[in-house]
Amino acid sequence: MLLDIVVIVLRETLEASILVGVLLFVSRSADMGFSWLWKAVLIGALGALLYALNLGVISELFDDVGQEVVNALMQYIVYAALVLIIGVQFVYSAPLASTFKTLMIVAVAVAITREVGELFVFYSGFLSSEDRLLSAATSGFIGLAVGMSAGAIVYYSLVGQAHRRSLVLHTTVLSLVAGGMVMQATQLLIQADWLTANQPLWDTNRLLPEASVAGQIIYAVFGYEATPSKQEVTAYTLSILLILVVALIANWRSTNNNVFIAKS
Amino acid sequence: MMRYWSSALCALFVLVAGSVQAETPVFNIAIRDHLFYPAELQVPANQKIKLLITNEDSTPEEFESYELNREKVILGGRRTVVFVGPLKPGVYPFFGEFNMSTAQGQLIAK
Repeated sequence: MLLDIVVIVLRETLEASILVGVLLFVSRSADMGFSWLWKAVLIGALGALLYALNLGVISELFDDVGQEVVNALMQYIVYAALVLIIGVQFVYSAPLASTFKTLMIVAVAVAITREVGELFVFYSGFLSSEDRLLSAATSGFIGLAVGMSAGAIVYYSLVGQAHRRSLVLHTTVLSLVAGGMVMQATQLLIQADWLTANQPLWDTNRLLPEASVAGQIIYAVFGYEATPSKQEVTAYTLSILLILVVALIANWRSTNNNVFIAKS
Repeated sequence: MMRYWSSALCALFVLVAGSVQAETPVFNIAIRDHLFYPAELQVPANQKIKLLITNEDSTPEEFESYELNREKVILGGRRTVVFVGPLKPGVYPFFGEFNMSTAQGQLIAK
């Protein structure tokens, strides 16, 4: 039971933690400081609380598929913010600092709202018993610590890289996280019956079972699906293509500007 | 012109009748004492189905399945809807993420 709680909390915090790790690196490269993170965490925590307190009402929206629709909407918002962050980083200059910070706050706050909101709901089940709540909180703390360590590892791995390589690396990680958001959102809309369901295009469960620890981690961070449908694969591909186009255009526009990453 | 409209109406009627006939089959699952009832449910293969999941416990649960690509939180004392499929014939395990040690079940698509 306690190990289950560690895994649940880890799964819910891993994605946001890795996102924070990469975005902290981006703001370090832009000399923006880390103060935006506290705002994002605070707004995200408040959002998570509101989400958890209103989940009953949310779930009943749109003929009982409100949860899927609202969660998918949040995933799309994070995706949009990440696409803009990827684009802006190439053309970044000091006047864009507040826009850049706002985008990061939106991405992290919404990611926290979605993930931590579910954790609040999970923990509400322990409120009737103080002993169980205490042991669940202790296990949760371990999961949270492991999740946050993953973000720290990502951050310090990027800091240790040569500039050009870290640009490619962090843009790739951000793109994969963003693509995973769209993948999960598409799956939610299929679950809500807003998109037509199809049988899976392929099954990679033999290569990497989705239920395995590695499978769960890659699912949580990059939206890995062992049995994706045509809609999910199409949405994922288009989402990554859009990021590529945005990155290429922004990179092309930055070649004549003095920008923070491309200059080195 | 009249004939055109009556044929259009007939076509519309056939379409509506067809969609009513092809309505998604509904299956009920209950969560009680962190267990699924029934824990094993036979459903038709190659067709979309609608699961009506009622959480009779006072605590929340998350219906989840890697094989079905589904996850949804169900608050205590609430009922929710999860659309599934169309599934190829086979066995599709599901579980309650908040009580994994007990809440286990499977859909059998035939």
